[in-house]
Amino acid sequence: MQYRKLLVILGLLCFRISIFAQASNEISGVVKDQNGNPVFGATVIVKDYNTGAVTNEAGHFLIKGDFRGQLELETSFLGYKTKNTSLDLEAENHTGFTIQLEELATNLETVNISAKSKIQQIEALAYNIDVIDAKKLHNTTLDIGHALDRVSGIRIREDGGVGSRMNLSMNGFRGNQVKIFIDGIPMENFGSSFQLNNIPINLAERIEVYKGVVPVGLGADALGGAVNIVTNTYDKNHLDVSYSYGSFNTHRSNLNAVFVNKSGFTVQLNAFQNYSDNDYKVNVDVADLQTGEYFPNEEVKRFNDEYHNETFIGNIGVVNKPYADRLLFGITLGQNYREIQTGARQVSVYGERHTRGNTIMPSFKYQKKNLLVEGLDVNLNANYNLGKEKIIDTVHRRYNWFGSYVDYDGPGGERTYTHAEFQNNNGVVTASFDYKINEEHAISLSNVLNTFDRERKNLLNTENDLYEQPQKSNKNVLGLGYKFDKEDWSITGFVKNYNQVNIFEEAYNPTGNYGDVAYRHKKDRFNDFGYGFAETYFLTEDLQVKASFEKSYRLPEPNELYGDGGILFEGNTSLKPESSYNYNLGASYWFNFNNLHQINLSANGFYRDSRDFIRPILNQNQVLQVMDNLADVTNLGVETEVRYSFKDKLSAGANLTYQNLRNNTKYVGGQTSESVVYRDRIPNIPYFYGNADASYNFKSPLNKSHPVSVGYNLLYVHAFYLYWPSLGNTKLDVPEQVSHDMNITYNFGEESNFQLTVECRNIFDKKLYDNFSLQKPGRSFTGKIRYSF
Amino acid sequence: MKKINLFNLVILALSLAVVGCSSDDDTNVDNGGGENEAQARYVIAATPVASEGVADYLLTANNLSEGSISTAGNGIEQDGTYRYYVTNNNKFFSLLYGQGNPGAVTTYELGGEGTLQMLSDFQSETVQAFAPVNEDVLLMKISRNADAPVASWYRLDTETSQFVDEGQINTAALAPEGEQAFFSWLTQVGDKVYAPFFTVKACCNDSFGTSYPDQSWVAVYSYPEMELETIIEDDRTSFIGRYFTNGLSVDETGDAYAFSSAVAVSNGDFSSTKPSAVTRIKNGTTAFDETYLFDLEEASGGYYVTDHVYAGNGNFVVFMNKEKTSAYATGNSLAVINVYNKTFDWISGMPDAENITSITTNNYVGEDGIVNIGVTTRESSFVYNIDIATAAASQGLEVQGGNITAISKLDSAK
Repeated sequence: MQYRKLLVILGLLCFRISIFAQASNEISGVVKDQNGNPVFGATVIVKDYNTGAVTNEAGHFLIKGDFRGQLELETSFLGYKTKNTSLDLEAENHTGFTIQLEELATNLETVNISAKSKIQQIEALAYNIDVIDAKKLHNTTLDIGHALDRVSGIRIREDGGVGSRMNLSMNGFRGNQVKIFIDGIPMENFGSSFQLNNIPINLAERIEVYKGVVPVGLGADALGGAVNIVTNTYDKNHLDVSYSYGSFNTHRSNLNAVFVNKSGFTVQLNAFQNYSDNDYKVNVDVADLQTGEYFPNEEVKRFNDEYHNETFIGNIGVVNKPYADRLLFGITLGQNYREIQTGARQVSVYGERHTRGNTIMPSFKYQKKNLLVEGLDVNLNANYNLGKEKIIDTVHRRYNWFGSYVDYDGPGGERTYTHAEFQNNNGVVTASFDYKINEEHAISLSNVLNTFDRERKNLLNTENDLYEQPQKSNKNVLGLGYKFDKEDWSITGFVKNYNQVNIFEEAYNPTGNYGDVAYRHKKDRFNDFGYGFAETYFLTEDLQVKASFEKSYRLPEPNELYGDGGILFEGNTSLKPESSYNYNLGASYWFNFNNLHQINLSANGFYRDSRDFIRPILNQNQVLQVMDNLADVTNLGVETEVRYSFKDKLSAGANLTYQNLRNNTKYVGGQTSESVVYRDRIPNIPYFYGNADASYNFKSPLNKSHPVSVGYNLLYVHAFYLYWPSLGNTKLDVPEQVSHDMNITYNFGEESNFQLTVECRNIFDKKLYDNFSLQKPGRSFTGKIRYSF
Repeated sequence: MKKINLFNLVILALSLAVVGCSSDDDTNVDNGGGENEAQARYVIAATPVASEGVADYLLTANNLSEGSISTAGNGIEQDGTYRYYVTNNNKFFSLLYGQGNPGAVTTYELGGEGTLQMLSDFQSETVQAFAPVNEDVLLMKISRNADAPVASWYRLDTETSQFVDEGQINTAALAPEGEQAFFSWLTQVGDKVYAPFFTVKACCNDSFGTSYPDQSWVAVYSYPEMELETIIEDDRTSFIGRYFTNGLSVDETGDAYAFSSAVAVSNGDFSSTKPSAVTRIKNGTTAFDETYLFDLEEASGGYYVTDHVYAGNGNFVVFMNKEKTSAYATGNSLAVINVYNKTFDWISGMPDAENITSITTNNYVGEDGIVNIGVTTRESSFVYNIDIATAAASQGLEVQGGNITAISKLDSAK
């Protein structure tokens, strides 16, 4: 509740600021099309003054000069009627007004080819890349994770409802093998309060998904792909507030406010909150706690699955200064609470186990284009997370799915008696330099440094902290790239150096006498080189081919090296990096007919040849999992996507992914004969899946100035086996899954600043499963209201 | 390679104790009976050797002396990677090792067609020791956490596949100050339950370390009340059994023979000064027999025992290992010993120990004195049939595509 009060206050604050923030010798505004969408790249000229500007992605323009009296603005853009606007400086606001362009219906072809949006520009790069236009999803209640789930080749697998653990898989790579970035900064150890499963889509402007080959600019040790979340950047005052309420008592709110004054001083605030009881129904066998007898297939409500998080991101600094395009000091503050309903399988049910976490992360951002010399762009980022994570399992009980329990005497837990706290002290420093030598040649250099210095506390027995020795890991990835551009083709080549130093203490017995303990200092180093290239060629103006290759490494994460302090994972300090050869070949084709129907087709084939996959096995006394370099895997697959649009009324698309993920480990466990599952399909991973979506825009029949949009999304996942397909004759599987989502959005208010959305997910209340047999929510309804300017 | 051995360690030799009560005279393994008379079947659990997505498969076989079976397209898939098995009352129980979580246990019996029929599922805790006692299976979940020194026991009625009783044991009270007891296994001795244990620090980065490496303990409980009657101690050997491994077996006269591997550790180093040996608790007594000790290290020329199978008349098949590299390793060198006259004979006809990647510790002992042991070599997996009288092994049934993790036998339920 307090939260929402804060939202309102912040909102009001921004309104007031914007009223006072009016300048005298500049003209600024927004260019929009007749549907209210910003027009990127439009030219605005002040007649008689011989000056003008081009609009940015947000349709925004800013023209500086010494203007007086009556002005005439000419706004033009390919595919639109040129518009003349007169402006009386004495009488009218000359900042923040809107110029509306009207589409030239006869000239669509030119529009589609020449007027590429930022998204099309990025997709036109040589990399195998998908871009989600997050703004189109701002009316939905999706978090970033669920938005990614709609990209071809990607499957998000989660344990349950809001806030549950998410695992992203892309072209057969899973978990840490795919790196997540936010504005180019690797999101490693940002803490559980700032993750894919809780960041609202409204935080993002777009999400870039790189498959197989990751550009040097995103310098990190991604094995097979990266996701870069590009957040909204506004160089003008902006406010976006939304709140939604839905099934399972789910509340989400989001505030995004930007204030910029004419001197370039800026304050950016982003706050979001998620709350859910997640008390959806599941079908389970319920055990009698005394006899162990199962009551089969009961429909019960989840009862220990509450989740909430509150996260605040604040930045203060300057924009558009001679010494910096952006210079921001910020802090991310967050906390979360998560109840744990089940173990890895639904048979293990808990009633009290939970985790808490917080994030306290100061950050620094610096960006400057053309620093010192023309063509040199510099980008520096740093952040440090002081947040803590806690796991609490201190109630000595056994629960069943009816929510009844047996109490046991003495201290104990439901799984393992635990009350532990971690502070990982994670730091990230990234630096990138791009230098465009001339129109054809460009080089880029980037470096990412990660530091990790874990402190652990056993809150049950603080005397034990004596035995908690330092666990440190420093990782550095350095990349150097070169790019050559010619009119219709482009090639990039790069090398990356991966370096990791791990420092930890190892217990040993120095004398051989009983009970004697000493610790020796250990230092492990890894050093490896990776390389790759990406190339693209436009065969015709609307047919593009792409090819790319990378040899990549992923260095073990601190959690894999050191474990999580005995909660789920034991450490393995002798882990080697995993590596992969990634190949992509793809083509895209755009065409239209009648100048009204636009069709995009794309197909991409990929091949992955991966070594030393890091996979969990049980440790020696089989209580914890421990990571090991276990498997060689190949993956040959294809993704296709088709999109159709009719003017800006109707948009529909579908994508399908098939991947032939095969076990390439010929000899296992010291055997000289071929493994029985050599070349078998890797189990428990979806291998054939896709999405389809459609949206239709129309004017409200009640009020012609109020646009209405209806959207539909379909998810399909083919059935797959839990264990090796070739073995056994009675088998366990995850059945085929089909789910339908629909939403309807109504825009109203002046300039359609208000949006009201009603959403229904999993309309037909189908049973959906993910990791093993963990059941996900059934049908849910959500309403969302949003205000933005 | 280590992984495979470890896997096996979970699977414990139990079936032999069971055979006695389940093999009726009218059961004939040969097809001597009428046409419709159902037969007994061997049940073999096999685990494919792979790095992930591993499930066990239950296979059935008519005989173990020849032929070949495979997990490819064959067998009943078991849910969960790490499972262990126990047979009692002519029922085969498949338990999931749930890493601290409760898991589903599936009960099978042999149907008329000679195939396994699922009887029921029931929920059980993840336990670290389990053994048939009378018509029950007694299970024990043991804490390794100094902040909660508790072992919980559960009594499963095999007739109904339901738990009928449970209780808790304070494990700190059994051990010297600063440590707590960890039961290595449970053995029915007469009408009591003998529970050998080792002591562990359960903390301080040395969970399974102990400051008492030269001491053996057996807690004696009444049954079915599970009330502590006494603790039997001995300082001639290190502890009896080892983690998840039985170290105590009873012969036909009611004497119990205790096997010590001498694998106590402190901060990761082996710290026992005692030899790996067999000691004895005579029938009706609650003390170690001071006059009896069979030093297996001496008899074998420096090997230590990791596991044993009782084959009758004072004969045991023992699993011997040369180097102490891990307290969890299973020995690949097999020998027949007789505890009455302290003879030690290496078994002939087995693959070289270096060539064995995995060996089954949950094995079957036939009425004919043949011990069936599952062995995975670098080439494939086989059942080796050991003739106790001659200490000679012969290669039998090949099991393609997996380590053998348990061998048992069921009579037809009909």
